[in-house]
Amino acid sequence: MIAQQIINAVSLGGVYALLALGLAIVFSIVGLINFAHGELMTLSGYALLAALVFGLPFPAAVLVAVSCGALAAIAMERVAFRPMRGASVTSLLLTSFAVSSLLKVVFQNGISARPQAVAMPSWMTGAFSFGDFTIGVGPSISIVVSALALIALELFLRRTVIGTAMRAAAEDFNVVRLMGIPASRIIATAFLLSGLLAGLAAMLWVAQRASVDPLMGFTPVLKAFIAAVVGGLGSLPGAVAGGFLLGIIEVLLQATLPAAVAPYRDAIVLSGVIAVLLVRPQGLIPAVRVQRS
Amino acid sequence: MLSVEALKIRYGEVEAVRRVDLAVDSGEIIALVGANGAGKSSTLGAIAGLVPAVSGKVVFDGVDITGLAPEAIARKGVSLVPEGRRIFAGLTVADNLRLGGAMHLPAMEARAREEEMLELFPILRRYHRVKGGNLSGGEQQMLAIARALMGKPRMVLLDEPSLGLAPQLIDTVFDLIAELRRNGLTILLVEQNVALALEIADRAIVLANGEVVLSGTAKELASSDLVRQAYLGA
Repeated sequence: MIAQQIINAVSLGGVYALLALGLAIVFSIVGLINFAHGELMTLSGYALLAALVFGLPFPAAVLVAVSCGALAAIAMERVAFRPMRGASVTSLLLTSFAVSSLLKVVFQNGISARPQAVAMPSWMTGAFSFGDFTIGVGPSISIVVSALALIALELFLRRTVIGTAMRAAAEDFNVVRLMGIPASRIIATAFLLSGLLAGLAAMLWVAQRASVDPLMGFTPVLKAFIAAVVGGLGSLPGAVAGGFLLGIIEVLLQATLPAAVAPYRDAIVLSGVIAVLLVRPQGLIPAVRVQRS
Repeated sequence: MLSVEALKIRYGEVEAVRRVDLAVDSGEIIALVGANGAGKSSTLGAIAGLVPAVSGKVVFDGVDITGLAPEAIARKGVSLVPEGRRIFAGLTVADNLRLGGAMHLPAMEARAREEEMLELFPILRRYHRVKGGNLSGGEQQMLAIARALMGKPRMVLLDEPSLGLAPQLIDTVFDLIAELRRNGLTILLVEQNVALALEIADRAIVLANGEVVLSGTAKELASSDLVRQAYLGA
């Protein structure tokens, strides 16, 4: 029972961490809080559904779905955010709200407002047991995938030139351009990474629920946004820490709260967020930004 | 090699540069001097593409580079060492250098170039794996210059390299600038320390309120009454 809850907590935390990272990467480079991030997730979910309906084998369908998330993120930047480059934070925020609402309406009217069942392979909903412990296959896969994605991202940011340039751009974008590194390449890479992470998170989310609906991305991305703020907006380690913290606290409260108090779970979590921000207004692990006059 | 014609820069209502004309020949050091707010840094910013010009023209090697993106100008061989150094504090010295050459040289050549830079700045070899933010001001200035040189630029724009450095470090930095020129680099130097700038430069241009008020060889300017009274405190 306890082992199962821990696995669930880490698995939910991992999904929040992937989403929060996607938000944080884009924010650290372009100063945009992308509220349409959830729609990238929804889009990947529908892409998975479509690929499975067309009869692609499951691994290929996942590949298609994640790629769709990444491509959609790049397209979003080209169409909606590039023309707004240099605009104020508020304008960027409103643009992302507009993109988000637009995509939701497209999903609702173009596909269906109701949830669509996704035929997940049966082994995913199974469980394996060691003695007294029973552990779900789905949450275990989720943990492994999140861990691999975090390691891959870390290697990308540390070992490649464009990854290093992205870390530098989060500190001082203009100086990166003075090195001859094109701004558009760095921004496109940031969106590509955020789309990949949203796509992966969508796969893990759908795997647990076996359905997609037009509003699917809203709740997890709202949580991821909270996680990113708690961790320190724009800080990548902060996003990961915040994501895991939020996921773990949610599952723990779910498991331990008495039935009478359970409906207040989100209120309790958000009170905790306020408490953290009162003590550490910059978040748990603040982003490093060089202060200049 | 570089010419700036009738450059005008405005920030909102404020006219930072009214009219600047200057020309830099290959292999020279030109000093751009003047008081705070005279428009020196804005002029460099406009050449490097960071600051948009209202009007005027910047020509490098016969090519009009006015209004090009900073990355495009950098790739033509003009490298700005910005005021306040602006090294990447969270990145190691090695990564700072690597980014400097990343877009200009193939990987093998970039490694050889990094080795040359470490020869030229031994302090950077010692701190190769240390984060840039942990270096002292002087070391950061060395890193900023080395980073700008990584891409083998043909011209370097230096903005206030002496700012905030201890006197003996200023000497080290200026000896280095002189050495770079001996190796054939063309340098446009912005400096508030006028005496120091005139010591090292071939020619100098004095800006005041966004306009060129005086120009000539460094020797001429060092002995002119205006410069002596206004900037050299004589």
